[in-house]
Parts: sequence; structure tokens; C-alpha cells
Amino acid sequence: MAKPSEDMIELTIPCHPRYLGVARLLVGGLGAQAGLSVDDVDDMKVAVSEAVTNVMDHAYGGGTQGRVLVRYRPSAGELAVEVEDTGAGFDPSRLPAGGPPKPGPEGGLGLYLVRELTDSMKVESAPGSGTKITITKRHHG
Amino acid sequence: MRISTATEDWLGAVTVSGELDAGTAPLLREALDEQLARGIRWLLVDLQGLDFIGSVGIGELIRITKRLGEIGGDLAVVCQRPNVRRVFEISGTSELLHLHQDRAAARRFLEASCRERQTATPREEGEGDGQTE
Repeated sequence: MAKPSEDMIELTIPCHPRYLGVARLLVGGLGAQAGLSVDDVDDMKVAVSEAVTNVMDHAYGGGTQGRVLVRYRPSAGELAVEVEDTGAGFDPSRLPAGGPPKPGPEGGLGLYLVRELTDSMKVESAPGSGTKITITKRHHG
Repeated sequence: MRISTATEDWLGAVTVSGELDAGTAPLLREALDEQLARGIRWLLVDLQGLDFIGSVGIGELIRITKRLGEIGGDLAVVCQRPNVRRVFEISGTSELLHLHQDRAAARRFLEASCRERQTATPREEGEGDGQTE
């Protein structure tokens, strides 16, 4: 469980890809505040964007009616972000592991990028119970 | 995101700047499909002005690469920014999408591809210029 943080910022966005840029925007400011390098912040922008995109694609049957909750927890040398929905959920044990998925236009790349571009990724979900993805990026100099 | 297109002789060019994510990828899809509809088979996609790319943007480039391959053409991508190149590299798509550091190198690659297939369709200079925002 994430440590309580006085600096926690919560953002709720509509389930529409036009708001992806809004979710990324806070990563820039809060990542710099946490002491992350420009490269670290760039990686985290991709990771947060992909985690939110994953919600938009899967949580609410591809529709735009749901909401996505994004919590940012900056601390010294680290930015943790939680992306949460109350949608369909899934069995996390079915997530593919290993190398990059076979290149194709059908997707499958998003959560792989999240895992590769961050220091940790935790997926909590169950069918019918929504999903919470927690990702962390630390300062790498 | 801003997109401009130009058709130069046998070569189509699509220049993209800004942020390419699931929200803006449909604009890229439209621009790429338009090039194919005009009969273009060799396509240069210039991402030098791109600040951000996500998996949906990469998926669009893969889709058009496969379509061009089916009709005997090819695609080359120009990308210099390290943060954008990194996403291509980690996703394992740099070779498939023929990433190059500058337009001249991408063009040379496509010229070689075109010569190899010897099926280029000459077009008039400047035909079909357009811009989308």
C-alpha cells in the first residue's frame, strides 16, 4: 500500500482519450518537483498515458461514460502514480509476461511499455471489481 | 498535434508534430489512408517535431507499414528525439518501421526500396499538398 503523502494530488478525468494530455501534464510538474530527471519524466509520461489508455480501452467496454481516477504521489526522488477505475476488471494473472508483444496494430503494447519504463508496476484487479494500476519512477540521475 | 502532407514525385510525405496518443491517432490514420488512396506506395513519415508518442500511435504506423507491404511499397520514419526513439526501441519496432535520423537518410532508404521493386509511379511535383490540424 502506498504511504500517505501530504502532497498527494487527485485527478478525475472523463473516459475519453482527448484527456490523456491532461493526465500527462501533471507528470511533468510533479516529476520535476520530486527530483526526477528529464528522461525519467519522459518515461513516466508514457507510462501514465498508457495506463490511462488501458482503462479507456477496456474498463468500460470501450465507451466514454466512465471516469478515471489518477493519484499522483511525489516524494523525494520518486513519483508514484495510481490509475484507478470502477469498470469491468480482469484477472491480472492473465497479463502476458516477458518480452515485447509481437508488433501489430491490434494493441497489447501499452502495459508492456508501462512495465519497461518504470521501476515498478502493480496491478490490482478482479473481474467486476475495477482495476488499480500503481506505477513508480525513481530518480536515476 | 499538427499534420502536414505533401506528395513529391513518387514519394508521399506526412509530417507530424506535437503529441501522438490515442486521442490524436485518428488524425494520423486519416492522413496516412489519404496517401494510400492517392496511389502512394512509398511513404516518409517525419516525426522530428513530435514531443510524445504512445502505443496507439505506434500501432497506426505498424498498420500502414503492413498495408504498404501488401501493395509492394514501403515506409520510413524520421525520428531524432531521444524520448520518442526510446519508445520505438523498447517496443521492438525500430527495424520494422525503418527509423532514420534525418529525411535524407529516410529518402535514400525509400529510393533504394523503390529501385529494388522497379514499380514506382511517377507523379507531378507538389501534387496534393495539404495540411490538417
